[in-house]
Amino acid sequence: MATLSDTPQKEAGLVDALKAGDQQAFRIAVREYSPDMLAVARYYLDHSSAEDVVQDTWVNVVDAIQKFEGRSGLKTWLHRIVANRCKNRLRTANREVSSEFGEVLEPGIADRFESGGRWATPPKLRFEEHAESLMENDALSECLDKHLSSLPEKQRSAVMLYEAHQHNADDVCNILDINASNLRVLVHRARQKIYLMVERFQETGEC
Amino acid sequence: MLMCRDLARISSDYIDGNLGTADNLSVKMHILMCKDCRSFIGNLRESVRLLKGHSGFRLDEEYANRLDSAVEKALKEQ
Repeated sequence: MATLSDTPQKEAGLVDALKAGDQQAFRIAVREYSPDMLAVARYYLDHSSAEDVVQDTWVNVVDAIQKFEGRSGLKTWLHRIVANRCKNRLRTANREVSSEFGEVLEPGIADRFESGGRWATPPKLRFEEHAESLMENDALSECLDKHLSSLPEKQRSAVMLYEAHQHNADDVCNILDINASNLRVLVHRARQKIYLMVERFQETGEC
Repeated sequence: MLMCRDLARISSDYIDGNLGTADNLSVKMHILMCKDCRSFIGNLRESVRLLKGHSGFRLDEEYANRLDSAVEKALKEQ
């Protein structure tokens, strides 16, 4: 999907318009960047608080954009503001983000091994033989949306930022305030869920 | 020896190139001999490709309008 921030030039143009207080530019930026900003906020907060933080962030950006120097991308800059605001809110409420980074295998995968560690229920299909039809299958895309929506918040935020938006791992760790090994667990768990989804979809045609 | 379950545990690290030389070699040796794990790694790679191709979620229009109004108000107050 082509986006405004595809090239540094386009992003610079957008930043200039935002600095000039162009309302239309803000409308475009709000639609482009808010979904990911919500993903960041949902990592820390419930749905309604997350929406509030994203709204507060945009109000703040109206002034703060003047100080944006482009050392990071606009997206990363926005994500950092959202993350800091969420962390402040949690600090004020004296709460901490709970973490669950223990097990690296999804139950649906872990159950498929014998006690000795060999496959008891091996992978049934080889996805790569169906790779092209996988990517172009609308029903599967819908199914992916559905499964991404129902991932635990932490896994979803990690996977959206790391995979779908291809932030580098350091940025994601910084924004989500986790270490590299925690990020790897979150991403690995989410990938296994999507693996199971594709396998089921290919086998049964059902989401 | 690396068992299939061990391989599944570190499969994302293998795909992402985060394993050390020794572990990386163990995985390569294992998948050379194990058809099931070869499928598993291939399938996991395809799942990652699918995720990387995801275009992100769309914003609920009602909420987008609420953000527009908040920004508009802030712009006027500048």
